[in-house]
This record gives sequence, structure tokens and C-alpha cells, in this order.
Amino acid sequence: MAVYKKLEVKSTQLLEKIKDSLERLNEKIDVMIEIQKHGQRANPEIPDALDVMTLLSLPDHLRKTAVTLCKLGEATADNVAEQTKRARAVESGYLNQLVIMGYLKKERRGRKAYFYVEKEA
Amino acid sequence: MGKIIALHSYKGGTGKTLLSVNLAATYVKKGKNVCLLDLDFRAPSLHAVFKTNNSERWLNDYLNGVCEIDKVLVDVTQEHGRSGKFFVGLANPATEAIREMSAKDRKWEMRALGRLLSLKTSLLNDMHHDYVILDTSPGLQYSSINAIVSADVVLVVTSLDASDIKGTQRMTRELYDLFDKKTGILMNKVLPEILSSKKEKQKFYKHFNSVHKLPILEAIPCFCDVLRAGGTYIFSEEKTEHPFTKTLDKLATKIEEF
Repeated sequence: MAVYKKLEVKSTQLLEKIKDSLERLNEKIDVMIEIQKHGQRANPEIPDALDVMTLLSLPDHLRKTAVTLCKLGEATADNVAEQTKRARAVESGYLNQLVIMGYLKKERRGRKAYFYVEKEA
Repeated sequence: MGKIIALHSYKGGTGKTLLSVNLAATYVKKGKNVCLLDLDFRAPSLHAVFKTNNSERWLNDYLNGVCEIDKVLVDVTQEHGRSGKFFVGLANPATEAIREMSAKDRKWEMRALGRLLSLKTSLLNDMHHDYVILDTSPGLQYSSINAIVSADVVLVVTSLDASDIKGTQRMTRELYDLFDKKTGILMNKVLPEILSSKKEKQKFYKHFNSVHKLPILEAIPCFCDVLRAGGTYIFSEEKTEHPFTKTLDKLATKIEEF
């Protein structure tokens, strides 16, 4: 019994690891697709401001994600998906697109990726 | 949980401030705790209505990030409260402040949006206001779009003017719909004869519901008494039996159920 339990824990950990790696891979593919579509940003050090006029100019699917993140301040793809009622993977893709476009910032803390517009000084 | 209501319009002079003030007073009369904020930084007016300069700080300071919202709010319950508490947040009417606010850059506007969005937590959750009413500037301006994004409900004040109707239709398509906002129309300054009978009234509502493709929450007749008061006092507070006050009572209930 104890051996089975150990095996179960190990396989859960392994699956978690695979899921994690797949998510990271997904994010990297999103970045590559976006760069292919729009090219590398000229100066990624200067972020674009995510003001309301920019929000108005975004396509509907990205606007919903961006407005939700503005409301939450800082959030993971899970937090955003909870609000928008869309799949986590979908929100992760949109959030990463907004990062590439220069409107959001992303920070990894442990296994989780946090997205935000700007940190308060 | 309370609601944030933004009053907006395509054109100026539609009666946003008058309706914001009187709607706020109506909710206070009903025992609600209300906070009324002047977000018209280009033409501030609430300081004149409430005849107060008691605020330590202005809303401009809050958006500039130099103070928190509690430093801005003025408690006018003693002068204007009936059953509920009444607070106002004023925009700085000094010419220098107006000039400064109209020269803000995109980054500042982005931060201002963040500060406005955080009012939901500070005013509704922490300070337990039932309603926060935002009086905005007309048209597509940063401060008014920021207010719309921050609001739970948007009330669009329009008149029967053809250009106002066309502009409101455009804003519905290109602004309110894009932010998925619960939006209702307030037809203001309607000639009383148009609303003379129940049948006429129904015809009017049906027509403008289809014109704006949004619910007409209320058609408010043009009352000479209200114009005569000239904003020197809060009409719905003083003239409790006047048809204008009764119309606002009805509107307040409709918004509660909206």
C-alpha cells in the first residue's frame, strides 16, 4: 500500500512538472508568434501606457483581459480567468500578448507568473 | 455591495450635474450613504453647489497620488443629510488646476484610472457607501472615460437635440458597448406636452428605446421651477412634493433594480 501511495505522489509531482513545462512552452510560443506577427518592439525598455484610449483601440478579446487586470492590479492568469469566465490557457495567451505589446509586465514568483500594469512607486 | 454610478453625456449642458446632485440627495433621503464626486476637471461645479471649501484636499490631489480619498471627502451630512450620510469630493476650480489637469500625459491618465478603480474597494467596501455617483465631463475625454471604466452603471443624459442624439448613438457603439457597461439613458429637458398622456409617453419610450438601443430609464420633463432655482439649492431636497422630485424618486428605484 505504502509503495502505491509513494508512486501516486511521485506521478502527481511528475504530471505537475510536465504541466508547468507545457505552460512555459506555450507562453514562449505565444511570444514567438507575436514577434513574428508584429516584429520585435523597437525599444522594449519604454513601455506603452495602458490608458483608456489604448484600451479602446485594443481588439475586444484583449480589452476584456486588460480591463480585468487594471481592476485587479496584479494577477495570475487564473485570477483573470476567474473574472472573465474564460479558460485559464486563453487568458494566459492574451496576457502574454499584452506583455509583448508592452502594455503589461510579468514577474515569475516560484511556479506562478504574475502580471501587472505598473507597480506603485 | 454598493454601486458606482457615472453620469455622462455626449454634449455639455444636458443636465448631468443637476441630475447627479439631485440623484445623490434622493438616495440620502432614502437612508443611503452616498458619495458624490466631481470628475469634471475642466469645469468643476460641485464646490458652488455645496458652497464649501472645507476639503483638506481636492480630487485632483487624489488622482495625483499625493493623498488618499478620505482626505478629499467633505461630510455635508449636517447641511444636506436626511436619513443617510452625504459626502462630496470636489474638483479644484482654480484656473491653474484646470490647466494642469488638461495637460496630463497618457502615463498619468493610466495611473489615474488605477486610482479610480481602487475607489470600489475604498469607498464601497471599507467606507461602506451605498452609492458613489460620478459627475463627469461631456464627450470623449480621459477623465470621463476613466470614470465610465470604473463605474458599475452608466447613465447617459441626453436631450432631444438631433446632434446630441446622433453623438449619443455613436458613443453607445464606440464606448459604452466596448467596455460592456450596464448603460441606461436619461432623456432630460423633455417638453412636458410630449409626455402629456400615458399613450404619448409609451410612444416616446418605444421610439427612443429603438433609437438608442438602450433602455430609457426615465424621461425627465423640463420644469421652469428647476431652471428658476438656478442651482442655488438642491431642488429635490427642498421641494419634496414637486413632480421633478417624484420623477427622481422613481429613477432612484429603477437604478436600484437595474
